[in-house]
Amino acid sequence: MTDHVTLTIDERTVTVPKGTGLVETAQAAGIEIPVFCYEPRLGPPVGACRMCLVEIEGMPKLQAGCTLTAQEGMVVRTARTSPLASEGQNSTLEFILVNHPLDCPVCDKGGECPLQDLTFRYGPGNTRMTFDKRTQEKPIPLSPTIALDRERCILCYRCTRFSESVSEDNDLVPLNRGANTVIGTFEDQPYRSRFSGNVVELCPVGALTSTQYRFEARPWDIQESPSVCGLCPVGCNISATTREGKVKRIQSRNHPQIDEGWLCDKGRFTYGHLTAADRIKTPLLKGEAGFEPLEWDDALDQAETLLRAGGDTVVTAFSGTESTEQAYALGRLLRAGLGANGAVLPEEIPTALDAYRAPLSSIRDATTIVILTRDLVADRAPIVDLWVKAARRNGATILTEIPEEKLEDAVLISDNAAHAAWLAQDIDAKSAFYLPRTPNGRGVADAWSAAGDGEASNEEPRVVIVSGDDAAADPAVRALAAGADFVIGIGLFQESFEGLADLVLPATSYLERDGTTVNLEGRVQRQRRAVIAPCPDELAWISKLAERFEVEVSPHASLAFEEISGRIYGGVSFAEIGEQAPLPPAAEKGAPVPAPKPVQVPVADGLRVIRYRPLFSGPVVDRVPEVEFQKADHEVGMNPADARERGVIDGDMVTVNSRGNFHRFKARIVRDLPAGTVRLSTYAEGDLTEFVAVRK
Amino acid sequence: MGVALFEKIQEIRAIYPEGTQSALLPALRLAQEEYGWLSPDALREVADALDVTPAVCKSVASFYDQFHLEPVGEHLVEVCTNVSCALYGAQQVLEAFQDELGCRAGETSDDGKVTLSTIECLGGCGWGTIVAVDHHYRTGVKPEDAAAIVKELS
Amino acid sequence: MSHKQVVMAGTDTRDLTKLAEYEAVGGYASLAKARTLGPEQITNELMASELRGRGGAFFPTGRKWSFVPSPEQNPNPHYLVINADESEPGSFKDNEIISRVPHRFIEGCLITAHAVLAKHVYVYIRGEYLGPYEILVAALEELKQRPDLRGDVTIVVHRGAGAYICGEETALLDSLEGKRGQPRTKPPFPAIAGLYASPTVVNNVETIATVPAIVEMGGAEYAKLGVPNSRGTRLISVSGHVERGGNYEVEPGISLKDLIFAPELGGGVPGGRAVKAVIPGGSSTVILTGDELDVGYDFDSLLAKNTAMGSAGVIVLDERVCMVQLGIRVSEFYEHESCGKCTPCREGTRWMTQILRKLEAGEATERELDLLLSVCDRINGKCLCPLGDTAAMAIASYVAKFRDEFVAHLDGGACPCGDHSPLDGVLAPVAQHIHDHASELVPA
Ligand SMILES: Cc1cc2nc3c(=O)[nH]c(=O)nc-3n(C[C@H](O)[C@H](O)[C@H](O)COP(=O)(O)O)c2cc1C
Ligand code: SF4
Ligand code: FES
Repeated sequence: MTDHVTLTIDERTVTVPKGTGLVETAQAAGIEIPVFCYEPRLGPPVGACRMCLVEIEGMPKLQAGCTLTAQEGMVVRTARTSPLASEGQNSTLEFILVNHPLDCPVCDKGGECPLQDLTFRYGPGNTRMTFDKRTQEKPIPLSPTIALDRERCILCYRCTRFSESVSEDNDLVPLNRGANTVIGTFEDQPYRSRFSGNVVELCPVGALTSTQYRFEARPWDIQESPSVCGLCPVGCNISATTREGKVKRIQSRNHPQIDEGWLCDKGRFTYGHLTAADRIKTPLLKGEAGFEPLEWDDALDQAETLLRAGGDTVVTAFSGTESTEQAYALGRLLRAGLGANGAVLPEEIPTALDAYRAPLSSIRDATTIVILTRDLVADRAPIVDLWVKAARRNGATILTEIPEEKLEDAVLISDNAAHAAWLAQDIDAKSAFYLPRTPNGRGVADAWSAAGDGEASNEEPRVVIVSGDDAAADPAVRALAAGADFVIGIGLFQESFEGLADLVLPATSYLERDGTTVNLEGRVQRQRRAVIAPCPDELAWISKLAERFEVEVSPHASLAFEEISGRIYGGVSFAEIGEQAPLPPAAEKGAPVPAPKPVQVPVADGLRVIRYRPLFSGPVVDRVPEVEFQKADHEVGMNPADARERGVIDGDMVTVNSRGNFHRFKARIVRDLPAGTVRLSTYAEGDLTEFVAVRK
Repeated sequence: MGVALFEKIQEIRAIYPEGTQSALLPALRLAQEEYGWLSPDALREVADALDVTPAVCKSVASFYDQFHLEPVGEHLVEVCTNVSCALYGAQQVLEAFQDELGCRAGETSDDGKVTLSTIECLGGCGWGTIVAVDHHYRTGVKPEDAAAIVKELS
Repeated sequence: MSHKQVVMAGTDTRDLTKLAEYEAVGGYASLAKARTLGPEQITNELMASELRGRGGAFFPTGRKWSFVPSPEQNPNPHYLVINADESEPGSFKDNEIISRVPHRFIEGCLITAHAVLAKHVYVYIRGEYLGPYEILVAALEELKQRPDLRGDVTIVVHRGAGAYICGEETALLDSLEGKRGQPRTKPPFPAIAGLYASPTVVNNVETIATVPAIVEMGGAEYAKLGVPNSRGTRLISVSGHVERGGNYEVEPGISLKDLIFAPELGGGVPGGRAVKAVIPGGSSTVILTGDELDVGYDFDSLLAKNTAMGSAGVIVLDERVCMVQLGIRVSEFYEHESCGKCTPCREGTRWMTQILRKLEAGEATERELDLLLSVCDRINGKCLCPLGDTAAMAIASYVAKFRDEFVAHLDGGACPCGDHSPLDGVLAPVAQHIHDHASELVPA
């Protein structure tokens, strides 16, 4: 066992793999070495807080256990058996507490606070501090979503290390020195990062709290529901905290292969959409003066009538936000009941890509990563960007152009499925990740194919079903709908369907339903109902409607999944998916994929505009005012060289113009952006043409 | 404005291995020499020239005593008041400067010319009291020297 | 008495800041000799010399160099970093070395670079040392015309910006990397992963300025100077209540009394006043009372008195000095200079100052005096780097050795020194620093 070491901790002998940290080693022996600053996901230990002091035989001074790794024959004594270590930890806690406000009764962290817990276990029973404590203005907004209480901060530097070495935004920093050190941003600007909310979870005290959760609940009156985020194709594992039937916060539920315990702010902070003012709770029928509520029985009658009128010409446009079961149920109703095989699917993913399947965590160990995406990875699949950054820190080479030669070690990341399927073969990549545009586009496509077969009708659709608010916002879908006689909408928000649909049926959000989704790796994961929706579940009414067409559709997600699984997922059950879903193995490599046609890039004077969908956009985000500040609609992304040429530095206001249209934007320097291009949100002013001039 | 500083910072950057942030301290010093202090805009300029965030610049600048994140006078008079200089009578020297300049330590004279400050050990302990006048050391300064030094600066 | 000069040799008669003058006294001959030797041979000479680091930690220099991995073991470039951050209150020797024998120092750098396989030398000089910086840069300008001397080694002078902690070697490396200068945890030690995570040797200016002499005379010969465990010569900075403040190069083992009183050294206390106390090695060392001056100024003798040579800054305090005020001034310095990374140092130094201020105001009770000692005890040995540990030890030593004086301040008591203490009045300097930017951000 040369790759293992054996040592003694508090008289217990323990054997661990070489290189195991002392904290983990102790844990393996059933012994706690308490920590504050230690957090291996943030990079090498810093040994700052001194909570983990232990006695090591042969070393004169107490040592910070978090900075050491297990060595053969080491003899370690923690506070349990060493009076010196015990005194050391007591000292550390006393020092942490001398300037800590001890306002636990009004602190959101109270009850789930490591400082509280460790003080109870290792700390002094009383205070010897008789001087005025350091007081500071509190709480101050770190951003509209995060409150900072500098008095409570114990300067463990977890938050700033996250900003520096995980999200790499470098916008949350320590300021000043010594006892005057505080955490902050440049000129008190809001901390704006796609990942900022993680610092709330990282903070071991109540210094960084969520403004949304502030004073909303106590740890002893909340429930946690394990689920999976439904807002992008990564499918981060989440835990939804609820109190009295309402979602109060979203936290991560570390899936080491998918998210490593990180969440993006969209996933964390936008649950407020559940209670949006225009949330659809009952069926709506278009009347003279806009939508009017409708009784359910009448709504099903209306739906039946419309569907019969549409017959096999009905086309369904999916958003990719549906659960696989919902898409399947709709598919059964339409394909089996009406022979309506026409669908606008958000994604079509060649099966050839399944041969390049790998867990997202494997990106971290890549030596070469080829990224071919128009949107930044972070906008499309945020957590993937963190894995790429981890890889780059580990020394990986990042290529943003199609490589000329074979790269067996390469990981390919692409937003073009067909191209990716071909390129992965062409360069003989190790693995390939297609980044779908929608959260469950894969599952929806799977469900649609599992629901039936048969060709779509060639006739113009007389009825179009617009499933989901994202489809309702899609110009192509709207154009299709405009040509139909009737439009049935299924969605969350009334505004999405104004002027579009004749009949609207309410939908549930991913936090309100049971079911499965398929993430970009091809991993089937379970979503759990955290709160009851303000309307019946889609499966319930689809099942009823299907009865009228003599199609049997189960109203239960578990049974629907069993059916789907039997058809396309090799019969795996809900139980086998479990809380931390496994990834199916990569498929065998198949037949060669033909090369796709190259895309012509137009050239002209000026900077070419790349329109992109920012992470903070879409119907859910639009309904949560707290994340408004994260929107990028008033920004123009520029390549550093282009910016320099125009004397522009990050944060400057610039004028962007084309053909007489002028707009002011805030310049953002984007290093990954090709020279000669600028990035504009699809939601930014639309009258700018493809080529623009930018000046300060 | 700005371009010359950018170029100068690139020259410094070239001294250090690529991909490192070592030029940050010298760059902050340059910017401070150029603008007198490190205003938010100066920090943004340095950040841009070094490809770091303004927050990092501020984080680093605020750690070091020599960087001014608030405006200071044209000239700087820093009186060492650490142990050895204090034993020679640094306090009396400091008070003499306060009288001459009509401002307290930590402040700038009314005409904006001179900022007076105490400072920790300057590393001239055997030759105290040390007063750094625009960063050049004067050794063995006595209270009665204050008037002449202030005169030099006006 | 005349004292053997090694580092400052030749400065009595010549201006050695000039390359030509330095060469005229045999300068750069050691470099030529060193280049005929292999790196290992030089390291062996250093081992034989028993030279120990002059920066404060007193680590054997030859041994430090021997830790550097071979290029086969670690292909990264090797770096030599010179610690010229000299900020320890009481020390000003490196200032004088750079100002008066810059070429000897540079020669030491080039020899050491050869010995530790470094092509890049960084001299981290404290930002306040503008004078020495200019002299060093001028000397390096002269060297530019002499590729024969320079070889393929580049020497970059990097200025700090005002932070005592950057004297600690790993904080120095972080600062040199353009970061906040905060100490790193060790291991890994700089020799394995230092600057830019590459093998790095960090040495003090005086240590390096001694190297040419060792190469010239041979390690064994050098080791004949001084006393066991403290070989060679040391530049001792003498300041405070002495007639002749200054740096004196002497052989360790000389008595502390002589350092203070010998006419060619400290020259005695002005006004014939009695010595109340002596800080022997810079403000982070344990204080000695006026009764403890019959001690050899060397590692072993001072260790026997629980103190150390540190950075060889001897501060003499006469009978008028209030020890509580000294405590505040020193404690405040460390509070101001604490980097803020580790808890005991950041919070503990602040707490010490608070208690000391209360004591000085006559508002403290015996319990608070004990609390002060307990706080010192709880800082000591728990910190990430020695800053907090040594600060606590120093303050605790003032109480231990002058307890009566502290007790006299208790319960509305007054200072036995009356208002004659020369430290009177300087007790709010930190608040008077212009760079106290935090004051705006952080209301008291
Ligand atoms: C708080 C602190 C401050 C220090 N300041 C200095 C300094 O100013 N100059 C110096 O050479 N060493 C200083 N040291 C010691 C260095 O960490 C290191 O030991 C030394 O530079 C190594 O060089 P040497 O072996 O040649 O002495 C300091 C150490 C500590 C803990
Ligand atoms: S705010 Fe929280 S996470 Fe950040 S340094 Fe303070 S205690 Fe640590
Ligand atoms: S947990 Fe080890 S020092 Fe903070």
